[in-house]
Amino acid sequence: MDTPRPRHPTPVTTEELMRYLDGESPPDERLRVEDQLATSTELQRELAIFRALKTDIQELHFPAVATRDSVWDHVNARLSRPIGWTLLIVGVVVWMTYGSWVFATSTASPWEKLGTGAIAIGVLVLLASVIWERVRELDTDPYRNVQR
Amino acid sequence: MQRQLELELIRKCKAGQSRFYEPLVRAYEPAGMRLAIAMMGNTEDAKDALQMAFIKTYDTLPRFDLRRSFGPWFFQILRNQCRDMLRSRKAKFSTEALDERLEQRPADAERGPERVRQRNAARELLWKGLEKIGPEHREILVLKELEGFRYSEIAQILEIPEGTVASRLYHARNALKQALVEMNAEYP
Repeated sequence: MDTPRPRHPTPVTTEELMRYLDGESPPDERLRVEDQLATSTELQRELAIFRALKTDIQELHFPAVATRDSVWDHVNARLSRPIGWTLLIVGVVVWMTYGSWVFATSTASPWEKLGTGAIAIGVLVLLASVIWERVRELDTDPYRNVQR
Repeated sequence: MQRQLELELIRKCKAGQSRFYEPLVRAYEPAGMRLAIAMMGNTEDAKDALQMAFIKTYDTLPRFDLRRSFGPWFFQILRNQCRDMLRSRKAKFSTEALDERLEQRPADAERGPERVRQRNAARELLWKGLEKIGPEHREILVLKELEGFRYSEIAQILEIPEGTVASRLYHARNALKQALVEMNAEYP
């Protein structure tokens, strides 16, 4: 024997209506919503409005991503960049160490070694200070996201 | 993309072989672009957001749990990237690219010019409505209506309880309805 329907059923909540519209209702909830839809024109109208909105949004057209416009090239370039930097830094360090050793053990006069050494150290100190300043400002730089 | 293939590609990427990232980027790019356009409002900002999201996703792949699905995880990162960009002064949702979005679809050619004009007017109105409702409403509408995610997946992407998804969807749809009413559009 069927269970008699309650005379004053609990009104359908907005969450239940959304789940019904999106096909996410559990079976008993779906039946309850359908029962009330059969008798409530107000609920029918509300559902019709949301259904129309749903269909219209689904029909919106977005520009397709063409292969030539793919973001992959940019992404790949950014992913490869750390490898490039690592190789560059390792190369510079190797050459500078080797060059320093060759220069230090050469027959050049002590004055030449002193002058050249001072210039090299000065350039390195200036470079390090600029990098340090840039790193410190990175968090507060308002233009850090500007790419073009 | 098949789950097994996707997992294999992610494993290779985790091992540092970035060339295996390309199929993942190409597979998720169209859907990512739709979400980004819906959130940012124009193609240029959407591309920037998408690009940054793919880079961030790759950088965080070593922490990715292979038992999870890649899609919702990537969309979560993309959504956060879009929100960050909208919060910064760099980007603001706009309808600058409206004409591009309203370009004629192949099916429109078979209809009469009056019908095409009406459809374009309706779409333009809908875009303007979407512009009005704010990113938090737009994102959930796009995830549900355009990408077709289930409630459980939307909950994962938006980092909210599954029980809240229906409520958020109602508020988003209702906000859009109100925005359209304010523009004198009749629904349905």
